[in-house]
Amino acid sequence: MKIEAVRNSFRAALDSLTADSQAIEEVRVSYLGRKGNIAKLFALIGSIEPSEKPKFGQLINALKNDCQSSFDEKVASLTAEKKDSNEDSLDFTLPGAVYRRGSLHPLQQTMDEIKDVFTSIGFSVAYGREIDDDYHNFQALNMPKHHPARDMQDTFFVDENTVLRTHTSNVQIHLMEEQDPPLRYIVPGRVYRNEAISFKSYCLFHQVEGLYIDKHVSFSELKGTLEYFIKRMFDENVKIRFRPSYFPFTEPSAEVDIWNEERNQWMEILGCGMVDPAVFENVGYDPEKWQGFAFGMGVERIAMLKYKINDIRHFYQGDVRFLEQF
Amino acid sequence: MQVSIQWLKKFVDIRETPEELAELLSMLGLEAEVELDLTGIQHCVTAKVLSSEKHPNADKLKLCSVSDGEETFSLVCGAPNVSAGQTVVLAKIGAELPGEFKIKKAKIRGEVSYGMLCSERELGISESADGIMVLDAETPLGVEICDILNESLSSLEIDVTPNRPDALNHLGVAREIAIKTGRELRTPDVNKSSTKNISESVTVKIEDQIGCPRYIAGVVKKVTVKPSPKWMADALTAAGMRPINNLVDISNYILLEMGHPTHIFDFDKFPAKEVVIRRANAGEEFVTLDEEKRKLNSEHLLITNGESPVALAGIMGGMDSAVDDTTKTVLIESAYFDPITIRKGSKALGLLTESSRRFERGADPNGAETAYWRIVELLKELAGGELCTDVADEYPGKKDQPVIRLRQSKLNSIAGYENSEEFIEKNLTALNVTIQKVAEGEWDCIPPSFRPDLEREIDLIEEFIRIYGYDEVISSRRYNSLFSFGILDPQSKLLNIYNTLVGLGFRQCYNNSLQPKKIAESMDIPAVSVVNPLSEQMSVLRTSLIPGLLHTIDFNIKNGTKDLRLFETGQVHHRETVGFEGLKETQILSGVLHGLASATSVHGDKDCPESVYTLKGILSALFTTRFKLIKKEVSGYSNGFAVELNGKPVGVAGQISASYIKKLNLDMKEVFAFEVDLNQLEHNGVVFTPLSIYPVIGRDLNFVLDDSLNSGDIESIILSCGKGLIKNIVPTNIFRHESIGDGKKSVVYHLTFQSDNRTLEDKEITPIIEEIISVASSQFGAKLRS
Repeated sequence: MKIEAVRNSFRAALDSLTADSQAIEEVRVSYLGRKGNIAKLFALIGSIEPSEKPKFGQLINALKNDCQSSFDEKVASLTAEKKDSNEDSLDFTLPGAVYRRGSLHPLQQTMDEIKDVFTSIGFSVAYGREIDDDYHNFQALNMPKHHPARDMQDTFFVDENTVLRTHTSNVQIHLMEEQDPPLRYIVPGRVYRNEAISFKSYCLFHQVEGLYIDKHVSFSELKGTLEYFIKRMFDENVKIRFRPSYFPFTEPSAEVDIWNEERNQWMEILGCGMVDPAVFENVGYDPEKWQGFAFGMGVERIAMLKYKINDIRHFYQGDVRFLEQF
Repeated sequence: MQVSIQWLKKFVDIRETPEELAELLSMLGLEAEVELDLTGIQHCVTAKVLSSEKHPNADKLKLCSVSDGEETFSLVCGAPNVSAGQTVVLAKIGAELPGEFKIKKAKIRGEVSYGMLCSERELGISESADGIMVLDAETPLGVEICDILNESLSSLEIDVTPNRPDALNHLGVAREIAIKTGRELRTPDVNKSSTKNISESVTVKIEDQIGCPRYIAGVVKKVTVKPSPKWMADALTAAGMRPINNLVDISNYILLEMGHPTHIFDFDKFPAKEVVIRRANAGEEFVTLDEEKRKLNSEHLLITNGESPVALAGIMGGMDSAVDDTTKTVLIESAYFDPITIRKGSKALGLLTESSRRFERGADPNGAETAYWRIVELLKELAGGELCTDVADEYPGKKDQPVIRLRQSKLNSIAGYENSEEFIEKNLTALNVTIQKVAEGEWDCIPPSFRPDLEREIDLIEEFIRIYGYDEVISSRRYNSLFSFGILDPQSKLLNIYNTLVGLGFRQCYNNSLQPKKIAESMDIPAVSVVNPLSEQMSVLRTSLIPGLLHTIDFNIKNGTKDLRLFETGQVHHRETVGFEGLKETQILSGVLHGLASATSVHGDKDCPESVYTLKGILSALFTTRFKLIKKEVSGYSNGFAVELNGKPVGVAGQISASYIKKLNLDMKEVFAFEVDLNQLEHNGVVFTPLSIYPVIGRDLNFVLDDSLNSGDIESIILSCGKGLIKNIVPTNIFRHESIGDGKKSVVYHLTFQSDNRTLEDKEITPIIEEIISVASSQFGAKLRS
């Protein structure tokens, strides 16, 4: 047991050793020196039972060898350290140790920014299913079967009554079915459109839609809220225009454009409007009592404007030369 | 829809430039762009072709000499239709045509060309590139083409939303301009001239009153088929429609003037002098005007002459009854067809026409009558025809216009600003709404029949805000507050995972959810198919994120990057049973590793390839709570593990099998992957563990074990003997050598002891160590290495 005690105290001494040559010498003398602690252990052999003597001797020898080699190693590393910290030998033009950093997808970053702006003004976030029934994706949103407005959204069907959602508005219906007003949500998610793939359209994209229902929600508030969002998202001085449009689930409806100085033209960035009373009736809200606004935007479109990306397909290719720029 | 500005001017004064007019209409909800404005085209003048001869060195080119009245130019022309005597458009050197096409002096096959003769397409007037544009012989020479054509041809392209069938014509667009600017709207006079010479008769029988609520017919005889006069041809051209002959053009003109589709039949081709409107029989065949044989179903509405079909109602006329150069007597059809019937019929055939587009959005049943009389009048005027029947007007589906109660208070509440009674009444009148005031701030309103979109109070409210101008509405900078006690964002926990992965070198991908069936089912999970895919390559929804990520690795290897850590989160789908309930949707996080985790460096680092151990390290960093990997057969993996978190299975991890990579037709070396079901991750709150103030004691144990034993087995023995005092246990070295024995390994464990309430002494730790040694020896034959 004495052997273990010497081993432990030697280790402790070694651990606390610095590149101070005097301290190094002290440790060497007190453990490995001719009168050091290990040498002293040999002196104990005399007091050991004769049958145990060879084994005890072997153990001390092993200890001595161990300690000598760890000591040598430590001293070598300490002197090397000393050399490294010598200013003249440092070369800061060498590359540093390599730590590979990853990156979040530009769509993720854009979606997170959108969420941040809306959660900061009191919107909650909800998610929902990508495959839904025709009722929640269309009919409840005032788009009965054979409604011409269905042409505005080319749809993938799983069967006659089941679709890949064409917008995240299906979640709005689920929310209103589950909750009583007032409510205020945004709904991000992936949506699908049966459109030929090109530099400007893909068979799927990402949307953030919003819904705010309370007793006196007005068109004027809709304008104020979305202007705030756009200014936070782009630039406080961006020029914005609201242009009348048509969506079956809102009335009045508007499309919102921002002025693009570089291209010298208006760029459409979102659609919005006051929730149509027919939608309220479909979910059992009294349209005489409740008013609300809804809006929706394509995350890709906003990211493309923000980062000046010219081809929507970049988002889905996973090319690290694209991804590492964000 | 292409709108001629000249045509609009017939109905309303226009003082705006084409640009300003487009802006004005856009801000009314009729999104408009300038389609044709020749103002920018300079140095393009009218000229006469003096001579045209074959190019000496080219078969298809001609050498021409043209004069602008002052100068003569020689040039090379490739158009097949060029000939001496024509009045044409000469783009002189220095001219710039649409598409930044600059005209320069050029040498073509050895002959110098001083300019170019233009086709309509080169001028941006139409798509026609058959040959050069030939002008009226009377046109003066040397005049800038923009001065001649701009007035008659300048046009706008308007994207009309589906709710506004009334704006799919020039009068409707002019009405919007009149309402917004307060200018007068000049509607064309309708002359219901009855006839004295009734020599023919036609009967109309409507068998399907749902599909055809109204049908008006009449016969005009002695028509002469010839080209339309210039004013009509120009109007149609400016609106993007090619003039054909006076009969066809009259119908098209009325369509574009007031939006009502009509049809003109050759009545001599009717064996019986009657019109019967009925549903088609399933499988019935009919040859439409475009010479296509159409197979019909019972949704289609047919116009028949009592014996055979003559038109696919509201969509397209038939070949057999079409007017031609010899037509003498015509039957005018001006009807109102049911929007849903027309839409279903048009959809079923994939046949969308100018007519079906207007009927499916809702035509004006009263407009049918106006259109009828306008056609009669134009047939008399332009084809010399004589009306020879009484008007046959069957109107079994007559409906009253709705009466809508409009409240100023509701309008103000939705708008968020005050609308005066004066503003409301003025604009209701401008909108052709008949009003009756029933109380202070309340009106009963009857909308005009050409506005089928005005049915409810909200539809009228929209009109006021639209006409007032969305840009004029003052934005409110506040709303009433609403506290939400629910979870603000159920996916906020993902942010932490994302950030950790980014720190670990992962790049986030968004891959396509739509895949070929073969790939989506490569992991033997039944996939959800789309019945109308874009292509076989994108016909089913992904069942796993792994195939997409493997393809992304492949793509990047081919583009020069092979050391990759990629991750994706997204929905995956599979079909459990038939029906809607059997569609299962899961939110998954998956990552893949390929190539080197770290590479040889100048600082002495050696290549370290990705391995099961880098994978496990990543999972440990991701799930700081205790997780376990349990060996498991996983489809697609060669070394597969189940990932357990707090005793609950949350996903799988391991090495992707070479055979699976091959199955996807990919070529890459080792790939390691993990897949986690994000819905299974619990969002536990953190509870603080008090820090111990007592010293830590370290001990090393060096065991010699059978190589087949898992290190973790020894660790659990060590922990079970620890009396709660072992805080941590780590294997620090594994050594295999013949000196230790065949099939053996030596493993050093570093143990950390600490108590929460006292300083530990040797006498407490020693018995624990002895216990560990004895249990390890008895259970696993582990020996302490001496």
